[in-house]
Amino acid sequence: MKHHDIMPAGQVGRSVPRLEGRQKVTGRAAYTHNLVLPGMLHAKVFRSTIPHGRILSIDTSAAAAVEGVHRVVTGEDLRAIVAEPYFGPAFHDQPALALDKVRHIGEPVAVVLAEDPYIAAEAARLIVATYEELDAVFDEVEAMTSSAIVHDVLKPAGTFPDLKHLVGKRDTNIALDYQLRRGDVDAAFASADHVYEHEFKSQQVMHTPLEPMVSLAAPDGDGLLIHTASQSPSFVRIEIARLLGWPENRVRVKVPYLGGGFGAKLYIKLEALVAILALMVKRPVKLSLTMEEQFFTITKHACTFRIKSAVSSEGRVTGRRCEVYWNGGAYADIGPRVTQKSGFTAPGPYDIENVSIDSYALYTNRPPAGALRGFGIPQLVWAYESHSDMIARDLGLDPVEFRRKNILREGRPHATGTLMHDAEIEGVLEKIAERMNWSAPFDRGEGHIKRGRGIAIAFKASISPTTSVAIVTIAADGCASLAISTVDMGQASDTAMAQILAEVLGLATEDIKVIHPDTDVTPYDMATLGSRSTFHMGHAVRLAGEHARRQLDELAVSLGYAPGAAYAPRDLFKKKYGMQAGNIVGVGSYIPDYTSPAPKTGLSDNITPFWMIGGTGVEIEIDTQTGAIKVLKLINAADLGLPLNPKIVETQLSGAALMQYGFTLFENMLFDEGQLTNGSLADYKIPGLNDIPPVIENHIVDARQTTGPFGAKGVGESATFGVSPAIANAIHDAVGVRLTELPLTPESIFNALRAAKSQAGKA
Amino acid sequence: MKAPPFHYHAPDDLASAVALLATLENARVLAGGQSLMPMMNLRLAGPDHLIDLGRIADLRRIEETPQGLRIGAMTTQRALEKSDLVRRLCPLLAEAVALVGHQQTRNRGTLGGSLCHLDPGAELPVVAAALDAVLHVAGPAGARRIAFRDFPLDYLTPSLAPGEVLTHVDIARAPANSGAAFLEFNRRPADFAIVSAAATLTLGVDGRITQAAIALGGVSHAPVRLAQAEAGLIGARASVSAWESAAHLAAQSPCDGDELYPADYRQELSGVLVRRALAIACQRAGGAAHV
Repeated sequence: MKHHDIMPAGQVGRSVPRLEGRQKVTGRAAYTHNLVLPGMLHAKVFRSTIPHGRILSIDTSAAAAVEGVHRVVTGEDLRAIVAEPYFGPAFHDQPALALDKVRHIGEPVAVVLAEDPYIAAEAARLIVATYEELDAVFDEVEAMTSSAIVHDVLKPAGTFPDLKHLVGKRDTNIALDYQLRRGDVDAAFASADHVYEHEFKSQQVMHTPLEPMVSLAAPDGDGLLIHTASQSPSFVRIEIARLLGWPENRVRVKVPYLGGGFGAKLYIKLEALVAILALMVKRPVKLSLTMEEQFFTITKHACTFRIKSAVSSEGRVTGRRCEVYWNGGAYADIGPRVTQKSGFTAPGPYDIENVSIDSYALYTNRPPAGALRGFGIPQLVWAYESHSDMIARDLGLDPVEFRRKNILREGRPHATGTLMHDAEIEGVLEKIAERMNWSAPFDRGEGHIKRGRGIAIAFKASISPTTSVAIVTIAADGCASLAISTVDMGQASDTAMAQILAEVLGLATEDIKVIHPDTDVTPYDMATLGSRSTFHMGHAVRLAGEHARRQLDELAVSLGYAPGAAYAPRDLFKKKYGMQAGNIVGVGSYIPDYTSPAPKTGLSDNITPFWMIGGTGVEIEIDTQTGAIKVLKLINAADLGLPLNPKIVETQLSGAALMQYGFTLFENMLFDEGQLTNGSLADYKIPGLNDIPPVIENHIVDARQTTGPFGAKGVGESATFGVSPAIANAIHDAVGVRLTELPLTPESIFNALRAAKSQAGKA
Repeated sequence: MKAPPFHYHAPDDLASAVALLATLENARVLAGGQSLMPMMNLRLAGPDHLIDLGRIADLRRIEETPQGLRIGAMTTQRALEKSDLVRRLCPLLAEAVALVGHQQTRNRGTLGGSLCHLDPGAELPVVAAALDAVLHVAGPAGARRIAFRDFPLDYLTPSLAPGEVLTHVDIARAPANSGAAFLEFNRRPADFAIVSAAATLTLGVDGRITQAAIALGGVSHAPVRLAQAEAGLIGARASVSAWESAAHLAAQSPCDGDELYPADYRQELSGVLVRRALAIACQRAGGAAHV
């Protein structure tokens, strides 16, 4: 890896060890799970056992009779506090507890409050509900035309102007249909030398944060204090205030460290329920999910992607049609945003004149799906990068060469019309090709062990427009505190933000105090999601630091220092106030420029503030007798601008790649008529240390985000993008079979090999 | 979730354990708890009484006997893994036990626990089947011996009468000029096997096979011995074609499948594992490397 530049103050660009590392490894870091408040009640949720039905009765009497149970609450009971207890970031479609209907197995139907969590759990088992079962729909493509309707009427939130046209729509499972039209795709197909059409499927999986979701609400004067493991404290405050009809300042949301988020803890999850319960019983109420309950709470979209390309005989892609169906499960969560904000990158990082995209968010009777490390991008890349190799192989072109012919280069228009800048698609492709030694001869194995290699490249647009605000306080001794609502969920945002502030103020990163989200204290931030913090909050922190610095400079001049003369801030305070007293407060607020896509065409001249580019190369080995697959080498490369902290960036790359590696080879939520059949970590396997490739390389491509803070941009998701198709491409390279459904299991490889053999036998 | 309430008993001697087990209603033996405790936490098992055999010193031993090995039921898998005696007298067991779960679970899990739990994907019952282990049980009516082949009654169900406890297991020593191999196929190391295969072979002075045993795990509720394949090997010369014939029979052997791993895939795996296990066993028996 190249040596990265360190900025003048020696802070940005330095591999500062994580500020919280020592606290975490010594078990001293605070988590919401550890929090106990006086008089606190524990909640346990009773869940639906059917995928779709009208609630006929809920008998809570046996549960209420258990000694130690304080109260049992149903959805109808919640109406005493909030008449319409429906929440959600895109649609107000999700009740805190089921009302009238249940829409997926595992949906919360009632809740037991008890002094002891185990009593609550025992009592919840005694609740009996009866339902009138309704027809259910589970598949995203079937949901397009199914007579089973999950929501009678669509209820988009007011938050997003581009969802307004959906208000009041009835008898449809399509929560959002996004489209993009560029050029004349039909003409491109009509005049094409070759037309390729394929369908790819990806499966529903779970985030599996080590710390399961947990929220605690406590009445606090005439307000509410909510302690929660959330990636979006500002949104929680706004949404709870909306539900209660309160001003924001009566709701206080505090978030300590998170034991992983990955998108599971975004927007609002358990907070609405505990907030209403706490107001109902006038005591603190805590709800801690088990690992297993998370499968019913939020997941990653299963997805079907039909992709069709017009290709010239030289291997140039001239037209592409994309139809993407997102299985959003029973509640929209952020699915409609995934549908649109990721949907427009469905054609891939390629320079294609004629493009048509239709992307559909669908309701089904499965557990809800939302954002998961990549916000839909890995599902898209899975399809378009498998498709890339299938085209290249058919045309007899080298897969790297085929990509070289087609990638989007600097200054060229993306499908939306936005011109590409600061997007090292080429740099990522060439770095992987170089590290794979792509042009050199490759050992293809012998006997029943066959070797293969594959690559995939991809891009993602940062979600826009979003806002971040930061406040820096300089104390009279010159030390600095940084108040931000960015959540450090393991990605080391505390360290990165402290580095930016330290660089601006000329302090040591280690001396900066980062104040964790507390909406009474820390200002608004849209959320910690989509790799947005480095860029957006990074700018806000930079601006806040510069604001403080400016005030210090002005103070120095007012105290008689020559403009530009060196000073120690503590001397300024002493001089000004006659003692160690006073503060300087710097504020930074950042929102990037953005042009909303035109509703009919989806076109925009400024669709995103920055592009994230990621790619993966793998070498694999397959045992053709069993289908067993071993990944021998995993090479990740990304354009993340200039790294603020190279060491942490590397762990972001390897962590992201390994997470997607699990979704590629192991993880799959299996359903039988809507019933999850492997809903525990005993059956649902995530990769462990024994399962990861022996060689993992992480490369930071030489790049600079000219619009980013210190040339930086986000990196948390980039290495997820290419993993799945790179492995599928390598499987094809090794044994000549093409898998189009995830996960890539030994038995699916084996079955494909057997099918290929019997096909060859017939021919 | 946590386990439902239960009473915990930790007798110091076998007689007390048997007496407790015979008199208490809905009692289960705790023999390491690496499967039972998760099952209780998942509310798949709900005994009112757990009788922990962990304090009974007699049940924790590995001894050489004139016939071979005698292993106490409460010997941990980790102790078996580390035992020179096991490695010397019963290399098949040594090879298989290293594949049982993780080191952390092997520290607690026991031979007897695994044999009595009879998980279809577990390794140790397959070894017991391949080696014709003899099980000794103690109960209210006294002690008795059970050949392992008669031990599994059904899915997760051993042939133990109410109040009976497995005390120790006899395994014959591996004969001279013999070799053994244990192979398994799973999605991740340390998972239960999708299919496992144990094979032993003894070669005569003329290079012909004088003894063969093949057992499969993961294909049925209990380990399956491939009698026909074994019979076909005896008297045959060690050769690739001999392994192929046995593998063919393994792949034809009746098999249960499930949603994740259908029967036909398990049968294919059975064939592959048997062929590979026989080749390795033969090599270990001193046979030619190329077969």
